[in-house]
Formats: sequence, structure tokens, C-alpha cells
Amino acid sequence: MPKIENPMLVSIYSHIVQDILAKTTSIEEANQELREIGRNLGSQIYLNTEIAEKTKDTITTREDVSKMVETAYKILFDKKPDDIDMESARGSVRITDEDCIWCQEVNLEGMRGFGYCEIFSGIMESLLDFKGVQAKVFQEMCRATGSDNCTWNVRLT
Amino acid sequence: MSNDLERALSKLRFDDQVLGYSLMTKAGRPFVSFAFPENLFPRVKNSIKLYKADLRLMTIDTEKGLVVLAPVDDNWILTVLYVPELQLGLAIAKTKNVLRLLEGIELPPPPDEFEEASEDNLQVLESIAIKAASTDAETTPDTTPAVPEPEEEEEVELTPENFEVQPSTIPKRGEKYSTCLSLDSDLYKEMKKLYRNFGFDVLMLVDEKRSVSAIADSMFQPNERVVELLKWAASKQIVDVPVSESEGGTSASGKLGRFVQVPKFEGDMSKVDESDHPVIKLCDGTRTTEQVAKEASLPKSKVIQIIARYRRHGLKMIGKTI
Repeated sequence: MPKIENPMLVSIYSHIVQDILAKTTSIEEANQELREIGRNLGSQIYLNTEIAEKTKDTITTREDVSKMVETAYKILFDKKPDDIDMESARGSVRITDEDCIWCQEVNLEGMRGFGYCEIFSGIMESLLDFKGVQAKVFQEMCRATGSDNCTWNVRLT
Repeated sequence: MSNDLERALSKLRFDDQVLGYSLMTKAGRPFVSFAFPENLFPRVKNSIKLYKADLRLMTIDTEKGLVVLAPVDDNWILTVLYVPELQLGLAIAKTKNVLRLLEGIELPPPPDEFEEASEDNLQVLESIAIKAASTDAETTPDTTPAVPEPEEEEEVELTPENFEVQPSTIPKRGEKYSTCLSLDSDLYKEMKKLYRNFGFDVLMLVDEKRSVSAIADSMFQPNERVVELLKWAASKQIVDVPVSESEGGTSASGKLGRFVQVPKFEGDMSKVDESDHPVIKLCDGTRTTEQVAKEASLPKSKVIQIIARYRRHGLKMIGKTI
């Protein structure tokens, strides 16, 4: 069993998720709430980290978005995502992480459709927004609910 | 619409066991395709022609792999090519899974003329849908919301909201269960209209043993979708589930049920210390830590200490709603 990285983050986040699950009435609502928390966190992250300086002022292409995702990953998690796919779907960038920080050691049953790591969707949405990019980000697959990796779809609008 | 469709189809695109797929018209013309070998199209078309309106789920074993054909609605057929070594049952289950995602999407009929198998066709489809929606909005605003609500013809008839269905609820067969499963009954037609094949599939799994979450899990579906269908079925006496006690129908736990974490030991029992056996044996993924403590007549803190000791030896905490 792998050692949990950053157990404080994992514990705090697990508490937040349980809280959300206790007060929401549907999976989609819970996903939405987690994204909302992420959006609020995004502004703090943008203010308190070097993401603003280390990314281009104007982000226009999917390559720019991809670089921004890599920068955010480096600053937030000190690693690279396993894949950033810009080819498969037009207007989308797909981020794949095989060792996602948020859902380490989390196993969920009977909760298909729940994005345990949706908070990251909100964070990315907010960071992109600060750079003037309108995007909808949602988690497509989650390791916690049985997928091989966590995948987020950044849909540029 | 196009986003939802793309999202549903992306399930296939990112599946390692899917070699290609194609959304085809009922005449067998590929509309949107992804890596589907062109030389297979004639064969698929012939098979579609052969069955015409009677086509349900069909599989074709080809030299390239296993092709599963599944009608999405009256106009569209989803064709998926799987790797040859994939089990037939799994291929069908995967296809059905995508079909269920497509169920919520109103696909307009294909345009009269289009370029075969082009990815841009998704946009074409979207513009047709938008056009249709703008004209539909004026003519049919009151028919759509009325559909999921059961009519209140009799005073005693209960609505879906009156029923309490939790992930742990075990639905029982109601007095109209068999009527609903006979394909020529009005009830079946109503269910088919509202839920397509999903309704039938769920009801087939209602065996008075399986809980809602077990049904949802075996269908790779979220609990809430099964809950919604069962509440409707309960209001039609197709299944029996508990009636909600609170008048408002909004229990504190909400639709999701209560989220709990349950310890589950999947390691080697022989490596568990003899004195810890009574606790670890109870960690089978069905009891919360509190319940384990109660049954073992130990304080919760003691149980947590024991469980933590086996975290690296096959003990997992599983999150689920009950």
C-alpha cells in the first residue's frame, strides 16, 4: 500500500467531501458544490502562488492552456500530470493523473458519477478565468470510484 | 446536446478495449465515426438491413474484433468495435452503459444530406437540435414536465415523492410487476417512454434480495438514477418500497443517503493477531466502525486502533451511502 503523500491535505479534503455529501441531495449537486469550493480556492491560489507570474499573460491556444495546467501542477503538487491530451476532442483539453493527490487511498462503492476530485475542476476553472479563458472543467473519471486514473475535461467555451 | 453526446461517446474513445465506434443512421450510414474500419461498414449495413425495425442488441464477430450494434432510438444505431479478446458479456455491458448515457440526450433525426462519418456532423446535429428546440418550445411547453409526474386521478394515488428509497432499501416486486414486464402492456409502454430500456433492466434486477446500491452497481449506474426509477415504479405499484413518513418527503439525509466509511479487510486472516480476530472478522465492508465496535463490545477508539494496525495489510476504508 503506497504511503499517503500530504496526509494533512488528504484528511482536510476528505472532511470537506463528507460534509458536502451529508448536505447535498444528488451526486451532481455534490459535484457542483465541490467545484464551487475549488473556484473559491482558485482565487486564493492565484493570489498566493507564483502561477500568475509563471504563466503567459494572455492564454489563447490549447497549448497555452496545457502549459498553464503543467505550471499549476508543478506549483500545487510538485509533479507533472501523466497526460495532457489536446488531440482527441476539439475544444477540449483532457488532463490525466494516475496518482491524483486528492483521492489517495479513497475507495467508494455505489457512487458512480461522483467526482471525488471535482475541487480541482473548480480550481482550474478559476485560474483559467483569471487569465481570461472561459472554460468549463469537470471530472470525467475518478480513481476513487474505480477508474484507473483521474481525468478532467477542460472544455473551452 | 452536442456536448452531452460528445461526452457519452468519449466514454468509448477513452476505453482501451474499444477499437472504434460509429453513430449510424437506421439505414446504416455512418454519421459520426472514430477509428471504425471503413471496410466493416458494408457488413454492418447488411446486418442492419436484415433486421430493420426489429434490431435490438446485436453482435457480429469480425476478423478485426467484436462489433456490437445497439439502437439508440428510432433514428440512430450505435456501433462499437471491441478488441477480439473482450468477453461478449462485457462488450454488451459497456455498450449498454453508453446507451444509458445517450438516453438522456434528445437526438434529432439525421439530416437528409451529410458527409459520411465526419466528426463535424456533431455540430450539424446540434444546429438541428437547436432549431427543433426553438420551434418545440412554443408548441409543447406543457407536455414535457407533465411526463414524469404520475397523474393524480384517484385521491389515494401516491406520487414518487411519497416514497422513501435509500441505497440500502431492498425493493420488492409489487402487484403490477409482471404486467409492467409484458411488452404489450400500457404500463410497459409508459415506462419505455420515460426511461427507455433502463426501466426494464432495473426491474429485471428486482429480486427481493438486492439492495438499490447493489442494483446500481451491477448496472454501472449511480444510485440516484435507480432511486428515481424505483420511486416512479412504486407510485405505479410495480414495486414495493417504504412510504416516506415525513409529509414533505425531504428526509434529513436527502436523496443520497447517509455517507459512511466502512472498514473492509481483504488481507490474509492468518496474519492477523489472534486477539484481533473478533474485530477484523467484522470488517467485511458492511458495518461502520461504530457498528463493529458495538458488535465486538469494545470502545470505538479501541476498534480504530486495531483497524489502523492492519491498514498496510489489506484493510481498506470504503466510502458509500447507506
